[in-house]
Order: sequence, then structure tokens, then C-alpha cells
Amino acid sequence: MQRLSPSPEQEPLVRVEGLTIDFWSNDRWNNVVNDASFSLARGEALGLVGESGCGKTTTALSLLGFQRPGSRIRSGSIHFGGRDLARLSRRELQKVRGRRVSLVPQNPTTALSPGLRIGDQLVEAMSVHGVGSSGGERRRRVRELIAHVRLPDPERTAQKYPHQLSGGQQQRIVIAMALACEPELIVLDEPTTGLDVTTQAQILDLLRRLRAELGMAMVYVTHNLGVVAAVCDRVGVMYAGELVEDAPVRELFSHPRHPYTRGLIAAVPSIAAPHRSRDIVLRGLLKRNDLPKGCRFAPRCDFAEGACFEERQVLQPVGEAHEVACRRVDDVGRLTAERISASSYVPLAAAADDSLLDVADLSITYDRRRRFALASRERLVIVRDVTFDLRARETFSLVGESGSGKSTIVRTVGGLLRPLSGRLTFEGRDLAATVESRTKEVRREIQLVLQNPDASLNPRQRVHQIVGRPLELFFGLHGKDRRAGVEKALEDVQLDTAFASRYPDELSGGERQRIAIARALAAKPRLMLCDEILSALDVSVQTSIVELLRELQAEQGIAYLFISHDLAVVRSLSHRVGVLYLGELCEVGTAEEVYAPPYHPYTHMLLSAVPEIDGESVISPAVHSDPGVSSSRPASACPFADRCPWKVGPICDEVDPPWQARSDGHMLRCHIPLDELSRRAAESTVRVGSLSAGDGPAA
Amino acid sequence: MSVTAVDLPVAVRRSRLRRFLRRFPMSARLAALLLLAYILIALTGPLWAPYDPFQAGTGLPYSGASSSHLFGTDILGRDVFSRVVYGTRDVLYLALMSTFVATVIGGLIGLASGLVGGWVDELLMRLFETIISIPLLVLALLAIAAAGPKASGSALLLMGVVVLVYAPRIARMARSVAVDLVTRDFVTVARARGESVRSIVWRELTPNAAGVLLVEFGVRAGYAPILISSLGFLGFGARPPSPEWGLMISENRAALVTAPLTVLAPSAALAVLVISLNLVTDGIARALGRSAERTP
Repeated sequence: MQRLSPSPEQEPLVRVEGLTIDFWSNDRWNNVVNDASFSLARGEALGLVGESGCGKTTTALSLLGFQRPGSRIRSGSIHFGGRDLARLSRRELQKVRGRRVSLVPQNPTTALSPGLRIGDQLVEAMSVHGVGSSGGERRRRVRELIAHVRLPDPERTAQKYPHQLSGGQQQRIVIAMALACEPELIVLDEPTTGLDVTTQAQILDLLRRLRAELGMAMVYVTHNLGVVAAVCDRVGVMYAGELVEDAPVRELFSHPRHPYTRGLIAAVPSIAAPHRSRDIVLRGLLKRNDLPKGCRFAPRCDFAEGACFEERQVLQPVGEAHEVACRRVDDVGRLTAERISASSYVPLAAAADDSLLDVADLSITYDRRRRFALASRERLVIVRDVTFDLRARETFSLVGESGSGKSTIVRTVGGLLRPLSGRLTFEGRDLAATVESRTKEVRREIQLVLQNPDASLNPRQRVHQIVGRPLELFFGLHGKDRRAGVEKALEDVQLDTAFASRYPDELSGGERQRIAIARALAAKPRLMLCDEILSALDVSVQTSIVELLRELQAEQGIAYLFISHDLAVVRSLSHRVGVLYLGELCEVGTAEEVYAPPYHPYTHMLLSAVPEIDGESVISPAVHSDPGVSSSRPASACPFADRCPWKVGPICDEVDPPWQARSDGHMLRCHIPLDELSRRAAESTVRVGSLSAGDGPAA
Repeated sequence: MSVTAVDLPVAVRRSRLRRFLRRFPMSARLAALLLLAYILIALTGPLWAPYDPFQAGTGLPYSGASSSHLFGTDILGRDVFSRVVYGTRDVLYLALMSTFVATVIGGLIGLASGLVGGWVDELLMRLFETIISIPLLVLALLAIAAAGPKASGSALLLMGVVVLVYAPRIARMARSVAVDLVTRDFVTVARARGESVRSIVWRELTPNAAGVLLVEFGVRAGYAPILISSLGFLGFGARPPSPEWGLMISENRAALVTAPLTVLAPSAALAVLVISLNLVTDGIARALGRSAERTP
């Protein structure tokens, strides 16, 4: 291999200088990355973070010499191993890509070819670059790679097709493919975003181990600061296409200097400190077509002066290996400290005593109908004997991994699925199983908000049609009254009434989710079913929506049945929490009780898998050796038995675990006595509760 | 401080129509002009056509092109040019009307069928597939035969035949769009709200299927003149002395050698119309297709 640089030890592996990239859209070039400069030493792991649309992925992909069609590199250079990737021909780039720099994309399902066996795909990655002299040698290397990414039984795994693997296993294969040619740099583009927390923790752990073993450099693109804290040495914070702060990871999280970084860190919900006051609130949105000529963050910055809008800011060193692009960096700390009193925290409203929704022994199945055999049906039990209640003005959250049946329960309460058995009671009366058989009044009082606002708003309807429909349907409002109702609903979700005439594609993700909430509010519901409504949003937007939900609850007394896999968000919003595993509840209690020992073994595993930006992010052995959720329910009595790190013995497989009550409301379902569970939780390295509350960004 | 109101983004609101026009290909623009000309001829033809299309003996039979008879005359000495001009009316009106009706009926049935699903969907689709499996002309002739000799040749019957032939095809298309749309969350939310099938089809599905249905309408409208003229040629469509083009071609085919214009003129008129309709539709599909990519 050619090495043009004189001394590879001192020369950084990657040196990006003044990189400026534009995208063509409609009829002009839009700037996406502006004058980004950074370097990466051999074996170093750099995290690129920022809100969606900040140009982090574009920057990272440029390290592969990749340019999206319809984009151009206006200026700057991308030196990799002494050569400028921006100037290489396609043929020469082909020799670098995959061979010396490789990519792990976000979605492993689409990254793997569905019709080829795993082993063949790995062999292809090598033979394209002429790695390995013979077929036999490549096959041997395939087995080695599969073992490297810690998948069991390499021989058999290589024979499998992608759909036979779980999402986490697929991502491991994609990582193995990226490693196949022993590259010097791996670019990872949100590789764990679609995965469950436990799977994410395992992938992060794998990446750290691989880096220790193989010593490759990494560029890790993510919006999740906790993930960055877990795997990276250094972090670059991007805003509107510019690097605004570049610092070692510990330094960044303990002493963030740029106002944007501070806001970003403050917006991250924390399990350890759910109710900390936030000194900086990221307000507004990144508006790409309305950037000032000076600091691009100035319109959203609390400390911006006139000069900030005029002078362009470039990275300036402020400490050892710490650079910030802010002219007021020395004042920001002091100014922040002065503002501490202005806390934005809205306390949770007190729940009423009367029960609103009662769910008793709910079981739900999907009929898996075999083709050509109408009579024989296979019953797939999704939810089994779930019981919980929800009081008026209360938030009850269901947490669990994907496949735990959370959404199925919400859809059943919403009348979209017919349960197999069980009783639903709403306001003291039986709740009919399907929407069609419910009264208009009940349909009005239960409203549904879904995960993805892109999909839940009709793209061909204007906002006033979307929000106005429930007003028409439930209250028979037309004309002026209807318009007034729409305006009221928009005000409730803190949007300008001018939004009424827009189409959804003219709004940002956060605005769209507000519209979806406004549509539910227009019906004046008593119960709002929220199915992962925050997971598609940026963290700063999440925070503002969480606060909106809290305010609405206090003002209008709405109860929420909240579904999420994000344990930190759940803690900051919920009165009570139910932990769901493979369709069965294993722990129920107030948020404080569930998030403190004694834990159910599964709760404990979930909590210890969440990467947090503070603390040492120790991944507990429980998570590390976790085999992952099995696709079919095991025959054992306790659904969690085959994954449980604290499994007692055969009793777990044979006898249904009993409900143990710790207090009036806190119950968990396990064979292990409560005292023993407390002791075990204390022994293992869980960070939750072990940190002081005052862990906000230090001034 | 509570959550700050999200201020309005400076919306670069580009006129959707302008974006659409910019993507409209050149060939389609030319075709659109031609189509416009056809419509003008259909509307104003009777005002300036040199002769009454039904008047026999305006000249000698089978006289060639001349200044008084642009396309010559037919066996009865009727002016071919005037007949082609008058025929535009019949053909355009019949083709567009019947395709429009077929699109509305087929589209709504297809959308509703995809939304409702289950045995209703199964039954309708099998029925439509049966209809589609019968060759186009055979089905049309069967329907005409079934209608009896009394109705034969009436415009209403012809429209009915076109609807019968096209509606099932459009319904299948609409259904496939609906099957994809009903899995979207906005339909789920509408269902949870307890909206009726009619309301979901009308408010949620139709606006999103409109692009596909429009293209479908265009493609079908492009072939409808051929179907109508084929029926005319076979003697099952318009009745003499109607100046419908297919009928004209049929009536004059014996004179193809002696007076070629009597056949060529209506043929060319038909060919240009069909090609223009197809090009315009294709252009609409392209212009919509790309913007559809932007908004999922």
C-alpha cells in the first residue's frame, strides 16, 4: 500500500480542511457544510453530534469520498493518509473505499442484500478488494470475522440469510463487513438508532472491544450524546454545517463552552436526575434558509449581541485540545450562572384519585393465517394477562423493548384491535372492543397520537383541515366556530395561527408532532394515547414537547397512556410506570419506585443499558452477556427466564413467578425475594442513583 | 420560562403550479398545445366548417383534394374535412366523458375496497379480474349485444361500454394505492376517530390517490378513442351517418386506393389525438412523480 506521508506516526490519519459542501435543491445551491476543519489521529474515535440537518452525516460520508448526487464540494480538502479524497477519480476512490475506509450505515436491514447468504456477502466484500488469496482463505476469514463480532457458531451463521438474524445481529454482520479488509478508519452513521437499548449497549460494547483489539480509527455520527460518551475519545459538535466545538469527550460533557453545546447537553433527559433545572434552553429551530452572516447560532442564542450576527466565528483554542467557535465564550459561563434561577421546569400535575381507565387481564393475539388453509389458524400471543389502571390527570407509561406488545396494548385501548380476552373499563363503564361499537362520546374522549408525525398527518391536507376535522366530527362546528377552534388548538400547542393554511411538508418534525397533538386536543379528550411520540424528534424538540405535555396535563387535566422505549424520557414525564416484557407486565409502580432498587431483573437490565452522558458508563455484565430477546416466547413460566442474569434455577422455567408487593402501588413479579433483589442491584455496577443530582453542565 | 412559541419559519413558498410546469417536459408541452387545438376545433368547428357534414352531394363522389374540398369527398359526395371537424366533437366528448366516469367509479370502488379489505375486497377483485381477463373488444361486443338492437349506436351505450371495460382496470390500480395508504398512520388516526368508510375514502385516500388516478385517467383517455373508433369500424359503435372517425374509416375503406384521403384524414386525426393524449399524460406523470418523491 502506498504511503505518501513522510511519517505516518505523526501525520494524522485524516485531515479535513475548510470543507464546504453545497446541495442543489430546486434552483440553487444550498450550503450544507461550511468551512469544517478537523483531524483524526490513527486509532482515535471522533463523535460528530448535532440536531438533524446539521450536516454531520454529509461531513462523515465525505471521508469516504462520497458525494450525494446533486452536491458539490465547493472548497476544502479531505486528506486521508496523505491523499486528498476530494480530488481522486472514481477509480482511485474505489481502491480506498471499503479497503481503507469503510462505512456502517444506520439501517442494517437495508444494508444487507436479502437474497444472499451472510457468508457470501462477507466474501464479496473481500474479493472486490482482492483481500485473501484464495476462496478457502476468504472463507476462513469470514468465520474469523463472525467470531470477532461475537456471533455464535460462525459456521452456521455464515450459511444464514439476513432475515434469519435479529436487528442487532444484522448490525454485527454489517460491522464485520466493514472490518473485512482491515480498514484504518470506520465511519459509523447512527448505527444503533433503530435498536433497543439493550442491543445498543451490546453494539457499543462490541465497538469498544474491537477498537481495543484492532486499533482502527472511528468517526461516529449520532444525535445521542449518551452513545458518544460511551464510545468516543473526542467530540465535534456541529451546528448548521459548521463545527462549533471540538473537545475531548469528558471535557466536553463536564465543561461545555459553546452555548449550543450547553443547550444540547441540558436537553438530554437523564435517568439519574430527571428533575434537574435546565439553565439553557434551546429555543427555536435551525432555519437553514435564514442564517445570519455572522455566527449561525446567533438567532437561537440567549447571549447573542449585535456583533455575533456580523462576525463569522471560527474555532479558537480555549484549553488543551479544546476549541470553540464563539466570541463570547469567556462570558457564557458567568452569564449562565446568573440565569440559573430561571428554571423552566414544569412540575407534574397531581393525579386525581378516581380511576379513568381499567385494564384487566388483557390478552391479545394476532391470527397468523396460513395460506390456502383457511381453517387452521396459528395463534400468536402478543399480550398476556396484562392488568393496570390509569387515573384521571395521570401519566402511566409502558416501557419495554420492541416486540414487548406496548403498541398493541395502545391500539387495543384505542379500539383498533379486538382483544382475545380481558376487560376494559373507561370512566366506570365497559369499553366496547372496537371503534365502530363505541359511542361518539367515548371516541372523542380517547385520542391517539402516533410516533411518526410524517406519517400521521395527511400530506394532502392543510393544517386547518387536519385539526378542524375532530371539531366537525365531534362538535359539529363549521365556518367561524370551526376556525376559532382550530386557532385555539394551535395556541394550545404553542404554534402561530398562521400555520393553519400550511401543508405538513412545510413544517419541521417538531411542528408536525405539535399539529398531531393539536388534532387530538381539538377533540377535548380525557385520555390521550401516546405511542412513542417523541422518538422521531431531536432531543431539544423532545424536551419542549415533554414540557408541552406537562402543561396540557396541568391545564386541561388530560391523562396520558404513554409508550416509550426511552427510559429517561419516561421518568421525566410519568407518575407511574409499567415494565413490559414479551407481552407480560413484570413490574409496576410509581416512577420513583420503579427507577430505584429493588428492581425486577429485566428493569435492572434496561436501566443499566442506557448510555448516559455523565458517569463512567459502565456496561453491566448482565447486559453484556445478554442473548437478546428471542423471537418466540419460550415455554418457561417466567418469560424472562432465558435471558435473566439472576435466574434462580428450574423454578423459573416451571412455576409462574408470584407478584411481590413492596408498597401499595409497587409490585414486581419474580421468584427472587425483594431483599435479595435489592442486594443484587447494589452489588452490580449500576450508575442509577449513584450520582448526585447536580450534574448539569458546570459553569 | 415556559416553552417558547415556535416562531414561523420564513417559508420559501414556491408556487406548486410553477414547480409542476418547470418539470413538464417539452414533448408534453407541444402535445398539450395540440390537444388544446382539438378542443378548440371541437368547440368552434360548427361555426367555420365549410359544409354540413351530413349533406350529400357537395361535390362529385370521391373527388380528390381541392380548394373547395380540402380532404376531398366520400362516396355520397359529403365533404370529408367537415366530417372530420364535426367528428372531433363526438370522439373527444365520448372518450373524455366515458373515461372520466370510469375513473370516478373505478377509483372510488377501488379505494373503498382496499380500505375495507376482507371478503368484500376479495369478492370485488376476483369479479374485476374476471372482467379484465376477457379481451377488450370481445367484452365490448358482448355488452353491446346484450343491450339489444334498440340501444345499439346510442352515445349512452358507448359510454357504458367504455366504463365497463375501463372501470375494473382503474379500480385495481386504485386498490393497490389504497392498500399502501391504509397502513399509513393518518388513516389509523382517522379510524380511531371512528370516521366512516365514505369519509376516509373521500378525505384521506382520494387526495393522496389523486395523482395516480389522474395519470390513469390520462392513459385510458388516450386509448378510449381507439376503442370507440374500433367499435365504429366494426359497425357496433356510432351509427351512420355519424361523422365518428372509426365509422368513416370503415365506410370508406373500399376507396383506400382511389380516394385515400377519405381514410387517411380521419386516421391521422385519430393518431395525432391519441399520441398527444399519451404524451400529455406521460408528462403529468413525470412532473407529479418527482414531486411525489419529495412528499411521501
